[in-house]
Amino acid sequence: MRILRNISFGQYIPRDSLIHNLDPRIKILSCLAIIVSLFLITKYSGYLILGSFVLFSIIISKVHPKFVFRGLRPILFIIIFTLIIHIFMTEGKVIYQLGFLKITQEGLVKGLLISFRLFILILATSLLTLATSPISLTDGIERLLAIFKFIGVPAHEIAMMMTIALRFIPTLLEETEKIMKAQISRGADFESGNIFNRAKNLIPILIPLFVNAFRRADELAIAMEAKCYRGGEGRTHYRELKIKKADILTFAFTIIVTVMASIMF
Amino acid sequence: MFIHIENICFTYSLGMPFETEVLKDINLEIDKGEFIGLIGHTGCGKTTLIQHFNGLLNPTSGKIYVEGVDLNKKGVNLKLIRQKIGLVFQYPENQLFEETIYQEVAFGPKKLGLSEEKIEKRVREALKMVDLDYNLYVERSPFSLSGGEMRRVALASILSIRPKMLILDEPTANLDPQGRDNILSEIKKIHYNFGMTVILVSHNMEKVAETVKRLLVMHRGEIIMDGTPQEIFEKHANDLMKVGLGLPQVTECMHKLKAKGKEVYTGVLTVDDAEKEVLKKMKKPLKR
Repeated sequence: MRILRNISFGQYIPRDSLIHNLDPRIKILSCLAIIVSLFLITKYSGYLILGSFVLFSIIISKVHPKFVFRGLRPILFIIIFTLIIHIFMTEGKVIYQLGFLKITQEGLVKGLLISFRLFILILATSLLTLATSPISLTDGIERLLAIFKFIGVPAHEIAMMMTIALRFIPTLLEETEKIMKAQISRGADFESGNIFNRAKNLIPILIPLFVNAFRRADELAIAMEAKCYRGGEGRTHYRELKIKKADILTFAFTIIVTVMASIMF
Repeated sequence: MFIHIENICFTYSLGMPFETEVLKDINLEIDKGEFIGLIGHTGCGKTTLIQHFNGLLNPTSGKIYVEGVDLNKKGVNLKLIRQKIGLVFQYPENQLFEETIYQEVAFGPKKLGLSEEKIEKRVREALKMVDLDYNLYVERSPFSLSGGEMRRVALASILSIRPKMLILDEPTANLDPQGRDNILSEIKKIHYNFGMTVILVSHNMEKVAETVKRLLVMHRGEIIMDGTPQEIFEKHANDLMKVGLGLPQVTECMHKLKAKGKEVYTGVLTVDDAEKEVLKKMKKPLKR
């Protein structure tokens, strides 16, 4: 039950900061720029620049770093795993040897670079979701996707699906916890047994969860129709997105930093 | 003494910015065979409190003893505790998952590792307790039932574990008046015929008050009143109003009569009792 409480994905932390007030499109594009440059960087110095840029953004966002770093927890295993694989599996100059295991210099360098890459990637994307409300995030995605409408990308529908999915993540988590507790009270056991038994033990959670989710989806569809929802055509927005001066400056600054990090160093 | 609670406090998301204190220093003793109503506003901590009784939640501080066993001690077999205390959650029909009602009710006994014969005996017994005919229902799918029937099946699936105590969280929520009366009368039967200790959790004074023998009133994470329904409605009517809970309609009516100068006893819970009380105080008895 504890596990469910620790999921920080999609959790928005409202604050009044430069990062929060940016246009969501700018935030998404800046995040993309950072991700792209992460895969172009080949040297430590580039990571140092990009890393400090992301840390600087975290500080001015006024979101407690604890929340941002919590996003790392689920992938910590992957980071450590790739680090170990790289350290031991790369051929090159041996700097330490223990039996058949040997650590090479190249491996160490490569492993650390990959870890930094994953590290910064998660920090940047966590900050994006922590400092942008789900509504404005999907708003931003819708507007950005609208560019590709001419090749048939259903921008509005995708955004609507995302909004609904994000909206129901906490609800479903809460419900999972409730059903789990209820089944435990009925004698179910989720903590012992081998992996097959544990998987089988999930049935009393999954079936009620699906039944309720379908029922809820049905009700939501009816409620939307009752409010005359009929897709994105001709739909106006309550909040119009407008690019402000701060947005342009931030975006320009991000581009300069990412280009500098990936090309110059 | 069945359950003994000492100074428990509970805080959600401890150490986080969203931390909220839900239970504040609760002390409580529950004896075997009691019939208790736990009443309070939505969000006052009722559900949180009852989840402490079978170890689903651990208190931030304080101690809970069930039949003398400290629930927070390392190595306590919580499974055993959960067999003793049957907790029926709100909207229990949302936990049904098996193909047939038989399997649904047999889920708990099966987990206890009982033999097929014993399981069948328990299923029969549990379905009888909630007034569902064994032969008519066992083969049906729980999803084909009406809301009230589903709730009874869910209740039976707890009863089949043979708990010593039954805790029901809002058992009458979202049921029509008839379904509500059925469930309440079944719970009463379970208490009186089988001697089961029962806690009924509700935010609704009506009906619950006239069903139970002892009433606990919760407000903002504290138990502010503890006594028989009659006592509480007679003496603490004003305090109840203050915390926004209100009285059952008949009781309120009696309080209004008293305010108008009629010396009536205000601790009545049912219309019948109120009628008797009013007739007693009238100078000329009415002819019916």
